[in-house]
Amino acid sequence: MNPTMIVNDINQVKETVRKFINNSINIDGLGDDENLFESGIVNSLFAVQLMTFVERGFGLEIGMEDLDVENFKSVNATAAFINRKSVGKAA
Amino acid sequence: MKETTPMTAFLTPEQSAKYAEFQEFAAANVEPFAGEWDRAQKIPDAAVSLLGQAGYLGAGIPFDYGGKGWDVVTFGLLNEALGRSDSAFTGVLTVQAMVSTVLLKWGTDEQRRKWLPPLAKGELIGAFALTEPGRGSDIQSLATEFKLSSGGAGLILTGEKKWISCGQFAGVFLVFGKLDQRPLACLVPRNSNGLEIKPIQDLMGFRAAGLAQLRFNDVSIPAENVIGKPGFGLSHVAPIGLQFGRISTACSALGLLRGCFEESTSYAASRMIGGNRVGELGMIQSLIARMGADLEAARLLCWSACRAEDDHVPETFTKTFIAKYFTSRAAVHAASDAVQIRGASGCHESSPTARYYRGAKIMEIIEGTTQVHEVILGKGFVHEAVRRGLARRHEASH
Repeated sequence: MNPTMIVNDINQVKETVRKFINNSINIDGLGDDENLFESGIVNSLFAVQLMTFVERGFGLEIGMEDLDVENFKSVNATAAFINRKSVGKAA
Repeated sequence: MKETTPMTAFLTPEQSAKYAEFQEFAAANVEPFAGEWDRAQKIPDAAVSLLGQAGYLGAGIPFDYGGKGWDVVTFGLLNEALGRSDSAFTGVLTVQAMVSTVLLKWGTDEQRRKWLPPLAKGELIGAFALTEPGRGSDIQSLATEFKLSSGGAGLILTGEKKWISCGQFAGVFLVFGKLDQRPLACLVPRNSNGLEIKPIQDLMGFRAAGLAQLRFNDVSIPAENVIGKPGFGLSHVAPIGLQFGRISTACSALGLLRGCFEESTSYAASRMIGGNRVGELGMIQSLIARMGADLEAARLLCWSACRAEDDHVPETFTKTFIAKYFTSRAAVHAASDAVQIRGASGCHESSPTARYYRGAKIMEIIEGTTQVHEVILGKGFVHEAVRRGLARRHEASH
């Protein structure tokens, strides 16, 4: 991944997020809407690793106002959060 | 004592210059007194003040908040240089960085403006109050409880914390508990009504680090002291602080390991037995060989972890676990061998090796025991192999 990916294609964002998550857990066929935190498939460090990945990969800064399970609960939720946050940053 | 083989190839000129400054500070202000502080089980206030005056307690805090704004590699070098002289003294840097980093990441603008400048200058010392009696590594089972106050404008805190580094003299505690079963972090000033602080004495090592047990008896906390949001205390807030705790501890243990190596090689090169130097004996060379190789490996692991944190990559957490795991274990081996090489004199408190021996074991316990690191790292390495297998099968099916 480039140090900072330009967020202009939601499908590309989703693919990048999916790849990171699949590399972080060891189950096959994770659904894009599958809840990562309820299914118990991630370890205690995953939340901050995912946060760091999003910040580093997309040039975003996640702050207290972004602390919402809905933002990071799945591949689709994380990609949508990145998209929203990027649009807000550019505005 | 100055580092004899610095990793000049990996450091910028600025980092090298800072490292030299840190070593001079340690030689003048820490090394001559570390044994005395250990026996007294206390670091004098004046020594902590010196850390503040030098700006070291605000090493990673940005300039805007009165800190030095140094990178993590420089922070690691500071911990290594001070850890060479006294791991207990370095413990002040550890907890200050843990609290400051959490505030930087999750604090509101108001919270940062209020708390970071005094932390950066050392006018305020922070402590990280996570561990509870009887729970140790099992942080998910926190029993410390926050409740909404009757008016709903603040919180009421009840519970106990134990083994809290710098708890004897910290001015503010970052306390972790649960609000309606949701993990939460709050800043609790030392002068809060209902907060009892009991010093913990007679540890085997790390004796001057001012450990304490805290009891919160219906302590009132204003809502503006909440850091982050309810539900995220253990998943997002604590790990940010613990990450810097591990970096600091790994680098401090690296300094201790260097101390063992330098004391041992110096002794082996000068002590004569039967007309021969001790260092000419094969069995002594064997002990020193392992120590020297471990020292070089630990340096690279610590540097790699600090760089990863500076680069802000997701791998930083695993790299830091590896650095802390390897370096603290290597320090324990080295301290044992350093005592062995010196023989009887190494067992006496007139030699720093006796203090290194007692202190090294603590490095294997704090910020996650060796066994916790093995569970996390071992599981991670196996998962990685499983993922590789899945990827190969995926490729084969297409």
